[in-house]
Amino acid sequence: MSNSAREAILGSIRTHLAASPPVDDQPVTPANPVIPSKSDPINQFKESLESVSGHCLVTTDAADVLSRILTDLNAQRIAYSDNPPNAHDIFGYEVGISTVQAAIAETGTLVLDSACERHRLVSLVPPVHIAIVNASSIVETLSDALTLLQKKEISPAITFITGPSRTADIELTLAIGVHGPQELYVIVDGSK
Amino acid sequence: MWTSIGVSSVEVLRRVGCEVEFDKRQTCCAQPAFNTGYRDEARLVARRFIGIFEESEADVIVSPSGSCTAMVHHYPELFAGDSKWLPRAQSIAAKTHELSSFLVRVLKKEDVGASWNGRLTWHDACHGLRDLNIKSEPRALLRNVRGAEFVELEHADSCCGFGGTFSVKYPEISVAILDQKIEAIERAGVQAVVSGDASCLMQIGGRLSRKGSKVRVMHLAELLNESSQQ
Amino acid sequence: MNHLSSETFKENAKAALADVQLRGALKNATSLFGERRKEAAASLPNWEDLRTQARAIKDEVLLHLDRYLEEFVRNAESRGATVHWARDAAEANSIICGLATERAARIVVKSKSMTTEETHLNDALEAAGIQVVETDLGEYIIQLAHEPPSHIIAPAIHKTRQQIGELFTAELGMPPTDNVDQMTSTARAKLRDRFAAADVGISGVNFAIAETGTIVIVENEGNIRLTTSLPRLHIAVMGIEKVIPRFSDLDVFLKLLPRSGTGQRLTTYQSFITGTKRASTDEGPDELHIVLLDNGRSRMLAHPVTRQSLACIRCGACLNACPVYQQVGGHAYGSVYPGPIGAVITPQLMGIQKAAQLPYASSLCGACREVCPVKIDIPRLLLHLRGEISPRKGSRAERLAFKIWARVMTSPSLYRLSSVAGRILQRVMPISRAWTNGRDLRPIESKSFHDLYE
Repeated sequence: MSNSAREAILGSIRTHLAASPPVDDQPVTPANPVIPSKSDPINQFKESLESVSGHCLVTTDAADVLSRILTDLNAQRIAYSDNPPNAHDIFGYEVGISTVQAAIAETGTLVLDSACERHRLVSLVPPVHIAIVNASSIVETLSDALTLLQKKEISPAITFITGPSRTADIELTLAIGVHGPQELYVIVDGSK
Repeated sequence: MWTSIGVSSVEVLRRVGCEVEFDKRQTCCAQPAFNTGYRDEARLVARRFIGIFEESEADVIVSPSGSCTAMVHHYPELFAGDSKWLPRAQSIAAKTHELSSFLVRVLKKEDVGASWNGRLTWHDACHGLRDLNIKSEPRALLRNVRGAEFVELEHADSCCGFGGTFSVKYPEISVAILDQKIEAIERAGVQAVVSGDASCLMQIGGRLSRKGSKVRVMHLAELLNESSQQ
Repeated sequence: MNHLSSETFKENAKAALADVQLRGALKNATSLFGERRKEAAASLPNWEDLRTQARAIKDEVLLHLDRYLEEFVRNAESRGATVHWARDAAEANSIICGLATERAARIVVKSKSMTTEETHLNDALEAAGIQVVETDLGEYIIQLAHEPPSHIIAPAIHKTRQQIGELFTAELGMPPTDNVDQMTSTARAKLRDRFAAADVGISGVNFAIAETGTIVIVENEGNIRLTTSLPRLHIAVMGIEKVIPRFSDLDVFLKLLPRSGTGQRLTTYQSFITGTKRASTDEGPDELHIVLLDNGRSRMLAHPVTRQSLACIRCGACLNACPVYQQVGGHAYGSVYPGPIGAVITPQLMGIQKAAQLPYASSLCGACREVCPVKIDIPRLLLHLRGEISPRKGSRAERLAFKIWARVMTSPSLYRLSSVAGRILQRVMPISRAWTNGRDLRPIESKSFHDLYE
C-alpha cells in the first residue's frame, strides 16, 4: 500500500545519497538583483501588459471606462467574480469581470487570490476578461508579489495572469486565444 | 597525421621568441579512448603523457589542438581519487595551453608577422570554444594577417559534426550536421576556412573536397606561418 | 501507438534524415526557439548569477531530497491534499486508474505532462475503459495523429501547419485550411465541452514547494487552469525531483524557465495550488491527489555526476541547441525525453540495455551545457555513461581495438610502426566506409612530424 511505497522510496533516496561521495553543502548565494527601473509603476505595468497583447486603460473613473468597454463589446451575458455562475453555465458567458489582489509592473501580471475573490472561472472561461486594478496595489517585481503572498497563509488557489491566452504549438506561430480568454482588458484605477 | 600543423606551430612559436622542444616519445593525449568510454585504456596512455612531460624543464606545454588541450585539462577528473597521480595530473594540466590562447593571453602577441592574400573565415572548434573559452584570441590573430580579409562565418560556433568516434558511429548524422557548416561556408564566399583543431579540418575539408569545392582548409598554425612569399 | 524504440536509434535517425518535411520543420522550430531564448537571456543582466543560484538550490534539495519531500507532503496533506507514492510507472498508473474508477469516472481531461507520458498513463486509463482527452494543443494534435511527443515543450513541433491542417480536416471535419488561427479555434471549440463533461483532471507539476505544500504549474493556453479547476477530482503527477525548498525560490525559477523554454518573460498563467478549497461552495475541485513518482530517479542520487540529471526543470533549451536533435528530431530517440537531457536520463530511467546507443549519439559539442538554466554538465554526464557502458557493452571488436590502441600508444616502437601500418591500410582497403561515404579521407603522410622534427 502507499505506506510501504513511501518507505521504499524514502529508503532508496537515503541509501543512494549515502552511497555518494561526499560533497560540501554550498551556501546558496542569491543572485544580484537587477536594479529596478525608476519609471512610474503604472506606466511600466501598462507597457508590459501591452507588449503581451493585453489592453490597459488608466483612469480615475473605472466605472465609466468599464461601461464603455461593455458597450463597445455589445456584451449581453456578463459574469462577475463576486457572484459567479456555476461551472456548467459559465461557458455561455461572453465577458468575465474581476478585480485583482495585486499586479506586477515589470511583467504586466495580475495576481488573483481565491481566498479574496472567486476568480478562477470568471477570469478563464468567457472569451473576454476585464480586470480592475487598484493603482496602489501594483508592485514592482515578481519577487515583491511572492513576498506579498507569503504575508499570510497561502490560499488554496492563486493565479498569475499575463495577457490573453496563447499558443505557439503550430510551427511556433503565435495564436492568441486558445482555452483561456482571447481578450484581456485591465482597467487601472488611479482614483485612490 | 598532419605534419604541417606541427611544423608550423613550432616555427610560429620560435618566430615569436620561444624556445621549443618536441619530445619524440610522445604519442597521444588519450582523448579517443576517454571519449569512447574506455577510461582504463585512457589512463594508461595519460600516465605516459604525464610521465614524459614531467621530465621536461619547459615552462609550458603548448598544443595546436583545442580538443587535446581540453583532454589534458580533464586529466584530474581521470585520476580523481588517485592520491599518487592526481597531483601530477593537476600540475601537467595547469601548464598545458592551446596555441592561440598561449600566443594571445600568455605572450600577449596578436601579430606574429604573417601574411596571406585572400578571403578567409574562422570555425570555432567546440572544445576550444566551450571548454577553453577560446573565441576572441584566434580572431585577433587572424585580423593581423596582412592581406587577409577576415569574414565572420554564420553560426561559426556551431559544431562541425565530427565528435570523434561519433563521426563513424553515426556518419549520416555527422554529415547532416556538417552540411549546415558547409552551406554557411559557401554563403561566406571565402577561399579558406581556418580552425584550431585538425579533426574539424579533416571533417570540413573532407566534405568540401567531396563536393568539388575550391575552398581550402587551414589550421591556424599553418596560416600564421604563411609569409608574403607564397 | 507506433512508438519508435531507443534501441534502434541509429535506424530511426537515418529515417528521420530522409524526411524532408521533418527536417524543414525542425530547422525552423529549433532556430526560432534558440533565437528567442538567446534574446530573453540577454535581457537579464544577472542571467549567469541566476543560473548559479538555481543550480545551488537544486543541489541543496537533491542532497536532502528525503527531508524536503517529507516536508512537502506534510504541508500539502495538512492543507487537504492526499499524497500517493509510486515506486514505478506501473504503480503510478494503478493508483491513478484506481482513483478514477473508484469515482466511476468516464472522461479524463489532461494537460501536458511528460511524467504521464513516461508512465504511458493514457494507455492504462484507456484499458480501464476511460476516455482520455489531451487538452494542450500540441498534445491534442499528436493524440489525434497517434504519435508520441517529439519535444518536451512543443510536442507537435515535428509537424508542418499543412500536416496539422490535413489532420484536423480528416479527424475533426474542419474545412481545409493551413491558417493557424482557424486551426486553433477549431481545437478550442472541440475541447470546450470535454472540459465541462470531465470527471477528472490530470496535470503535471512544474515545481512543488516544500515550505508551503504548494504545487506550481505554468502554461500559456489556459487548459491547465481548466483541467485543474473544473473537474471534481484533480490528480497532479510529479517526479520526486520537482521539489524546491521555499516559496521565495520561485522567483529564480520563474525567471529562468519561461525564458529558457520559449523566450517569454513569463508564460500567460501560473497556477499556485495549495491543498483543497476551504468551503464546499468555493470554486475548484473537491479533491486533490498528488502522485509522487520515483521510477528510477532515486538511483541517480548515488553520484554527483548523475545527481545533476535531477536538476532538470524540463525547459527544452538543450534540445533546441543540440546539433543532433536539430537534424533528427525527438521521435528518433524513442523516448519521452529526447535530445541531450533525454540521452542522459533515458538510460538511467529505463535501464542501459534499453538505451545504450543514446549516450553515444552526441558530438560532445557542449552547446547544451551552455544553454541549460541549471548548468547541468551534460557532456560530462554523457562521458560518464559511456565510461559505464563501453567496457561492458562495447562490441568485442571495439574493446579489443582500444586495448591494442593503448598498447601502441604506450610503446614508442609500436607507435612508429602504426603510422606505417596506417599508410598501407589506407591504400589497401577502405579504412571506413562510414567516413568515406560522405567525406574524402585525408591520406596519412609518408613522413610523420616525429620523423621531420629535429
